[in-house]
Amino acid sequence: MKNSVFYVFFLLVTALTATAQEQKMSAAEITSFKNAVNATAKNTKTLTTDFVQYKHMDFLSKDIETSGKMSFKSPGMLLWQYTKPYQYSVVFKNNKIAINDAGKKSAMDMGSSKMFNKLNKLIVGSVNGDMFDENEFTISFFKTPDYNITKLMPKDATLKKYIKQMELYFDKKGNMVSQVKMTEPSNDYTTIVFKNKVTNAQIADSVFNN
Amino acid sequence: MRRSQILFLIISSFLLASCAVKTVNGFEQKEPVVKSYTVPYFSDTKTDYIYKAHISIYGKDFGGIFIAKKMNDTLYRTAFTTEFGNKLFDFEITDNSFKVNYILEELDRKIIVNTLKRDFMLLLKRNYEVEQEYVNTESTVYKCAAGKRSNYLFFDKATGRLSKLVNATKQKEKILISYTAESDILASKIVIDHKSINLKIELNYLQ
Repeated sequence: MKNSVFYVFFLLVTALTATAQEQKMSAAEITSFKNAVNATAKNTKTLTTDFVQYKHMDFLSKDIETSGKMSFKSPGMLLWQYTKPYQYSVVFKNNKIAINDAGKKSAMDMGSSKMFNKLNKLIVGSVNGDMFDENEFTISFFKTPDYNITKLMPKDATLKKYIKQMELYFDKKGNMVSQVKMTEPSNDYTTIVFKNKVTNAQIADSVFNN
Repeated sequence: MRRSQILFLIISSFLLASCAVKTVNGFEQKEPVVKSYTVPYFSDTKTDYIYKAHISIYGKDFGGIFIAKKMNDTLYRTAFTTEFGNKLFDFEITDNSFKVNYILEELDRKIIVNTLKRDFMLLLKRNYEVEQEYVNTESTVYKCAAGKRSNYLFFDKATGRLSKLVNATKQKEKILISYTAESDILASKIVIDHKSINLKIELNYLQ
């Protein structure tokens, strides 16, 4: 009896592991996936979504959880707004970054910083999925029953200092990013999960004032 | 003694007196009641101490997340990330040692590392040997040796809690840490204020 219970348990675990396992995409799958994502990105004029961010550090007993809202308007206006447990927002617009840290405002010119340019491209790209830049990243493609997964490893030496790997989880239904995992060179990582996505609703430009 | 010598002595003793640190001016000195003191803040090994941080340095403001964790009886781990989660530094600290596990290349300058080292070793210092005690109507103060400097630990008489720490040379106050305590073991707001450089770090507890 004990043995059969163990056997069933073993089968169940194996089955679950097997379904969750990532498989490499074939060349044809990669092409059609890229086309689908690029088409979705092109047709996404605006996007709003809630997000939850989990910061994992090996020595902590639990991940640090923060959450908020993100708004994007094509071609390049982005608002990233934390509302819990603190108020902190960043607007990327016209090559400038405006930060509002609980009322304390500051601004930076993105043009002056190669790093911020790359950061902006990464954030916008990970929101709309438009980031299959083979010059910037070594990219590999995987699939599970629910997600298509892109793993990007920076080629640029500056970016490499901050990011070891970005993993983008694309919801198979909508071809949009629903989760991002950013691993640092130390192997600590940040996971951002997007929820309640709304595409192509009207967003006033004034939303992107900080 | 010649008049000029007397004058010199008077002036120099006046100068010395006026340069002496003012931290416990007007306090009454007492024989210390206790020989040692252990700081109760940051003392629980099960708690991740997470603070929202504001750093203002020479008029520039930065934000981030400050994290401290007591790993065992003597060791602390402390880290700082941006709001987006990118790690800026990660240190290991005991009462008398300091190790850099990671620091962002742009911040890896001797003057920055030494300032962070001094601040966070002071913030996370656990054990003090009490040398002298001072009192006034509001506070009890323990004076404790810290190499060439001294640490003055201020306790609010009404609550008995550690409310302020002054790190000073014989002449000057250098670093001031003030605590707003939520309980006997948790400081919900901490301000680290430098007196010789224009640097202020404000920490507000998040979890």
